[in-house]
Amino acid sequence: MLRVEDLHLTVGGDLEAVRQVSLTVGRGESLGLVGESGSGKTLTCRAVLGVLPPGVAVSRGRIALGDTDLTALDRRGWDRVRGNRIAAVFQDPASYLNPSLTVGRQLAEQLRLKRGLPRGETRAAAVALLEAMGIRRAPAVFDQYPHELSGGMLQRTLIAIAVAGRPDLLVADEATTALDPAVQAEVLDLLRQLREERGLALLLVSHDLAVVAEVCDRVAVFYAGEIVEHGPTDEVIANPRHPYTEALLRVASLGDWRRRDLEVIPGRPPELGAFSTGCRFAERCAHFTERCGTPVPLSTVDGRTVRCHRAAELALVGA
Amino acid sequence: MTTLLDRPQAPARAPAPAPARPRRRRGRIGALATPVVVFLFSSLLTFGLGALSPSNPAAAVLGETATPADIARMNHEFGLDRPFLVQYLDWLGSALTGDLGRSYFTTIPVADSIFAALPVDLALAVLAVLLAVLLGGSAGIGAALRRGGRLDRAVTVVASALGTLPPFVVGIGLVVIFSVLLKVLPAGGYVGLEHGLLPWLRFAILPALALSLDIAASIARQLRTSLVAQLGENYVTGAVVRGLGARRVLFRHALRNAIGPAVTVLGIGVPIVLGGAVVTEKIFNLPGVAQLTLQAAAQHDVPLIQGTLLVTVTVVLLCNTLVNMALLRLTPQGRRS
Amino acid sequence: MRRLALAALAVVALLAVAGGLLAPHDPLAQDPDLALHAPTWAHPFGTDYLGRDVFSRLLAGTGTTVAAAVESVGVGLLLGVVPGLASLWLGRGVEWVLLRAVDALMTLPFIVFAVAVTGILGNGLTQAMIAIGMLFAPLFFRVTRAAGLALTRAQYVEAAELFGASRSRILRTHVWGKVLPTVAVTAAQATGGALLAVSSLSFLGIGVQPPAPTWGGVLASDLGFLAQQPWAPVIPAALIALTVAALNTLADDRGTLRVAR
Repeated sequence: MLRVEDLHLTVGGDLEAVRQVSLTVGRGESLGLVGESGSGKTLTCRAVLGVLPPGVAVSRGRIALGDTDLTALDRRGWDRVRGNRIAAVFQDPASYLNPSLTVGRQLAEQLRLKRGLPRGETRAAAVALLEAMGIRRAPAVFDQYPHELSGGMLQRTLIAIAVAGRPDLLVADEATTALDPAVQAEVLDLLRQLREERGLALLLVSHDLAVVAEVCDRVAVFYAGEIVEHGPTDEVIANPRHPYTEALLRVASLGDWRRRDLEVIPGRPPELGAFSTGCRFAERCAHFTERCGTPVPLSTVDGRTVRCHRAAELALVGA
Repeated sequence: MTTLLDRPQAPARAPAPAPARPRRRRGRIGALATPVVVFLFSSLLTFGLGALSPSNPAAAVLGETATPADIARMNHEFGLDRPFLVQYLDWLGSALTGDLGRSYFTTIPVADSIFAALPVDLALAVLAVLLAVLLGGSAGIGAALRRGGRLDRAVTVVASALGTLPPFVVGIGLVVIFSVLLKVLPAGGYVGLEHGLLPWLRFAILPALALSLDIAASIARQLRTSLVAQLGENYVTGAVVRGLGARRVLFRHALRNAIGPAVTVLGIGVPIVLGGAVVTEKIFNLPGVAQLTLQAAAQHDVPLIQGTLLVTVTVVLLCNTLVNMALLRLTPQGRRS
Repeated sequence: MRRLALAALAVVALLAVAGGLLAPHDPLAQDPDLALHAPTWAHPFGTDYLGRDVFSRLLAGTGTTVAAAVESVGVGLLLGVVPGLASLWLGRGVEWVLLRAVDALMTLPFIVFAVAVTGILGNGLTQAMIAIGMLFAPLFFRVTRAAGLALTRAQYVEAAELFGASRSRILRTHVWGKVLPTVAVTAAQATGGALLAVSSLSFLGIGVQPPAPTWGGVLASDLGFLAQQPWAPVIPAALIALTVAALNTLADDRGTLRVAR
């Protein structure tokens, strides 16, 4: 349903921030994008939503939703796609709601414009939708302002607004990151439930592999603007093929994923514009060899895509 | 006076932050009680000013041949021999019932003169505010949407230039352009609204424009600044991602949060419109309250001066109260600072 | 920008002091034969409707104009800063009264009030400028209060109080140093406003009495002869606009605040 083919994104016209990204999300499927901040996962999903930050542009490639080419849409075209076919939730839900309107009004607006409900019916429908998102006291919440609600409540409200137009695909960009662990688990449960009940496809972005592992069938690991490994989640986790994935697994809160005191991967990713022509992870890699200085093509190993010269020969530790 | 109206963000206009001394009686009651107290202060000032007058009205009216006894009798007749506070309360009490005394010279009731002239100013002020909102609003929104573009720079330049010119230059400039060069509008004079909207508009549009430009410039600047800030907020991205149309995102969402400072400017701007009216009425020869004040000042006609001042203050206070209530409505409870 | 503004203001200050001496002609001397004459070497800005030299009138008028503006700002400073500080340290009652008084002053339109005051107290420049100055007071009051309010809770002021420093000493040493810079910036801004007010009043025939020259007066009289000399108002208008712009630049410039500190 969503097809991203050979996507390249540039910053300020010449710096390439995202390179050669290809991915697909089928109906009712869920794909996770993981990586450190600045790895290009958020830019990729912003490109899918058509809200790239100023100065960032698609320089090559195609994003298609069904048979609509999203990269060719004008503003009016986007307005028909967003909210109806794609929707999104983000980190820091409070900032994504208008602070001077009640959450109910914002949900009702969405129901009216995107589902065509008449004014008189929106309130009942909105309250029902809030309840379906697991919000107790929904009628009271309807009349509250964003600053009066907790982070978990806000994220549920934002999800309600997102699914109000019955979209096919929900993009969740670090949607649970700022929440405390118990609430994070509940929101992830809600996403899973929406997927099962409504056939909603998910594109879930997180820096935490454990979060992705909870919800996603497949995972794409981003490093320095490229996908370095892409395959079924359980296989990638059990048997990583790229050294960066292995490193991520070590620092992820897998198993006990409410753990907060995570290890860190030594070193830092290369700066934008300072990418080498070879493997971009080489500097921090424990398995570095001479060959790693040369350009790395994507290869297919064990039914998954990997960007590593030594993908077939390394024995890496999974979780 | 644009220079003073313009920069709530500069240190000069920074409202005194008083978290440790919260003002009591906030909200609706506060919004109504404060203007009443302020009105009492303003009226006391207005009346006190009259009491400072060096010229004795009795002597002025009676002329040079008056004997001290005549003057004393006249003083008694005007009630000028009573204690100050008694005179003030008496004056205020009469004023509140619509009696502002009589002119020393024409003996026409002050209230009659003012209420004959007031409709001119009110109609003009409404048109001026409308123009200011329309011009300033669209210029500010346009500049914010095309940030750094040609329109943005033009708005900045015109707005700051307007703030450095004496207001009468702008008014006369308009006369030169539209009356002298283009010959499309009359250079002065006035026809009341009762003669129809279009004839009135022919005479009112230039003075109203002259009055509005100052405030329009301030509104444009404030709106541009706050709208640029709001358009960078996440909730705007959120609304775009929800598939709301560009117009809805701008007018229903971003503008709602950006409009506060501009509305405040409008509130501060009301005294400036009325102050500017003195100059404008003189340029365009309009029979308004400001002309009445000028004429009263030339004759040292104390009751008439006091009356016009009191009515002006009342109009300003009414407008300020309306603006404050509008601001209260715009900002949800709990987010008010 | 700041240097340019400072240079412009220095020139204005010089003219304010010595403008009358520099004037090539008597600013009051009339010459009916030369009325409304275009610029010549002898009269670089031309002559007005009475044949008076506009250049000399502008030079000689600088003093009155600037003095009037400074006078009103001085009144505003006096009536604003002192009560502003008083409102912080003299207790709730004084504070309440002062706040209401400031609110009341803010409802008065500048020009209307100045006209009313001159109408009652006599039509002189001093009366007009006291009126304008009174209306500047709220501006200074608020700035002083805002700057002082932050200080009343600052720890070092508290510490000074603990060490038994007297109130007046605290005011002098600590508060003054903090309040003064913002007050200075506000004064620059208010001076610009005062210049515009003075010229508006001159236009209305209030304050300065003819034939004494002022910038606003020259401008107002030029505007009466647009048919003969459409270019004439540009000179005094530019003079006023540039001075106000220089003051605004100074007030807006962040560097000014730093230097003042």
